[in-house]
Amino acid sequence: MKRVFIGLLAWVAALAAAQAEVNVVATTSSMGMLARTVGGDAVTVTVLAPPDRDAHFLQARPSMMAALRRADLLVAVGAELEVGWLPAALQGAANPRINPGQRGYFEAAAQVELIGSGGAADRSLGDVHPAGNPHINLDPERMARVARILAERLATLDAARAEHYRAHAEAFAVQVETRLPRWRERVAGAPGVVLHHKDADYLMKELGVAILGYVEAIPGIPPSAHHLSSLVEALRGQPGVILHARHQPAQGAQFLGRNLNWPVKALPIDPPIEAGAEEYFALIEAWVEAIAAGRP
Amino acid sequence: MQTKRLTWGLLALSTPFSLLAQELPDLGSTRPVTSGSAFNPAISVILDGRYYRDSVDGEGTEIVGEALGFHGHHEEGHEHGGVSPGFSLAETEVALTASVDNYLDAYLGLAVTEHGIEIEEAYGLTRALPAGLQLKMGKFFSGIGYINSQHAHQWDFVDNALNYQLIFGDHGLNDTGLQLTWAPGWGTYTVFGVEALQGSNEAFANHIGEVAHEFVAGGLSTQDGPRLFTAFAKWAPDLGADHALQGGLSWGRASLHQEQHAHDGEVNFLEGDSWFAGTDWVYKYDTGRPYGEGAFRLQAEYLYRVKDLTVAAKEQVEGPAVGAERVFTQDGLYVQGVYGIAPRWTAGLRYDVVGLTNERDSGTATDDFDSSSRIAAAVSFKPSEFSLVRLQYSQNSIMVGEAEREKFNQVWLQYQLALGAHGAHRF
Repeated sequence: MKRVFIGLLAWVAALAAAQAEVNVVATTSSMGMLARTVGGDAVTVTVLAPPDRDAHFLQARPSMMAALRRADLLVAVGAELEVGWLPAALQGAANPRINPGQRGYFEAAAQVELIGSGGAADRSLGDVHPAGNPHINLDPERMARVARILAERLATLDAARAEHYRAHAEAFAVQVETRLPRWRERVAGAPGVVLHHKDADYLMKELGVAILGYVEAIPGIPPSAHHLSSLVEALRGQPGVILHARHQPAQGAQFLGRNLNWPVKALPIDPPIEAGAEEYFALIEAWVEAIAAGRP
Repeated sequence: MQTKRLTWGLLALSTPFSLLAQELPDLGSTRPVTSGSAFNPAISVILDGRYYRDSVDGEGTEIVGEALGFHGHHEEGHEHGGVSPGFSLAETEVALTASVDNYLDAYLGLAVTEHGIEIEEAYGLTRALPAGLQLKMGKFFSGIGYINSQHAHQWDFVDNALNYQLIFGDHGLNDTGLQLTWAPGWGTYTVFGVEALQGSNEAFANHIGEVAHEFVAGGLSTQDGPRLFTAFAKWAPDLGADHALQGGLSWGRASLHQEQHAHDGEVNFLEGDSWFAGTDWVYKYDTGRPYGEGAFRLQAEYLYRVKDLTVAAKEQVEGPAVGAERVFTQDGLYVQGVYGIAPRWTAGLRYDVVGLTNERDSGTATDDFDSSSRIAAAVSFKPSEFSLVRLQYSQNSIMVGEAEREKFNQVWLQYQLALGAHGAHRF
């Protein structure tokens, strides 16, 4: 009897070990891509925010709470990007493993240096992020650094596969290092861009491309006609390209494009929801090509 | 054996502390990047101002609050805080939240008016219980229904749904006690909750207790709290990123409810128990288009309430006999839809009806009253996430006597301004 019981126990333990994937919930598809790239087949990844909408303005849906309830690790962008919905979803999830301060809570923005931190916490300046610009996802170099730290975090949750995680993160970082010079070369001499929101600042910095202005005068507020016409005044006669995220309103960008005779391109700022590293690099390439298209 | 077990116990206890004490530099920060200053609670303030007019000399909000069959505490000279015509300031909400330690979060919500400060909510909420359990302790909005736990600034209309206002009073079901919820972690979002509350809701679980009244006959009993118990369940299937649906069931029972009825020079006291049951449904559609354009919300809630009372005491010889039965059975429903008509603009329509069942059973005879209803239309503009301007028009048809129906209109112009910490709203 006892032997049967021990046998049963061993079988259950073996079964559990075989299926013990780390359950990762990622807030955006960029974070999902990182978790998938670093975790490989040792993780299951659920993405809360689809790439076609603005992660600033989501609502805490019950299905998010259901996913978070069972998560071993939450990978968020952080720096208050998800402040309007993630705290509520976390509270509704009642999962102490992934509370801030626990091993199951991972904020990408907390692992790298942010630009624009220490700005004024004044809402008359719009929906500002005094903690720093949270949109690090379009910066391949910062993403590579986040991947390495994420590998260490996954290793603490699943020590048996530590080397597997580190190797994957390393491979991602190597890919970034080999591609970056090609991207920089492709955009060399490009005249610069006008963005809708400060969501591609990191990429422009990484590629050495000038940001000539923003369609939005104040983050989170639709631009005024006055702001748009003063942009036209300032930029008239010089070449450039206008880039905005697909979920952002196109009217302001189109107005500038018409008046400046510049190309206007709407691009995703996150890869597809099921993306791996390849889709992420394809996204960066799409941005690179769009920047290069600004050359006269 | 005993020692060994003790050692294991101590080890298990000490683990979370040692994890906390040691920073984990190689594994990356587990802390959020935040602009919230160290250790200070996140503070937010909501300012709410109105301009109000109605077609009944400014008595509209009082008439709505006294719809036939619901008004259960006719105290002599008791004035309800109706909204006066013209400009007025509604409750200013001051909310402070912070983590107490690694076990608890705490929330304090104050309602500041020209007449003083009231504690709207003051509770601790566990953050580290296992198995999806959460315990809330203190004063809070009950988790029953959908709109009940929302603060006034989260409503899509200036005023609360009529069924909540009439069955639970102006502030909904808000009481002091304990709430335990359990999220079992099933594939589909499901939450169960139970509450033990003191029982101090003026409309549903009122406790007059020892009063300085000269009773000619009978008397009122006292009962130690908790006198009000509730249970609720919520369920929400995963319909993807565009659609969300949540359904809920609620139930509650007060073991003591006392009312004072004063009219025509008579003062009678009723006493007994009460119970309610309700169901709530919310559907949300999100297009993902900028500034909420095209987004749609539909919500509906039904409440059914029975007050099983008897005449317990009276201040004069005349009037009903002590022990005479008084059973009040009422219900109410609201349905509302809100649609994003343009970037930053929403339009909403709400239909309220109360007293579809509207009975007073006095043992020998049953009175059956007509229902009261209201239609409200609102247009809101949100310049940013932190401010709102709303225009609302309501058409009321309220029973004010057994054969007397008052029909009138109300117009509201409202602003709401949110200062301080960026709040995160639950679904």
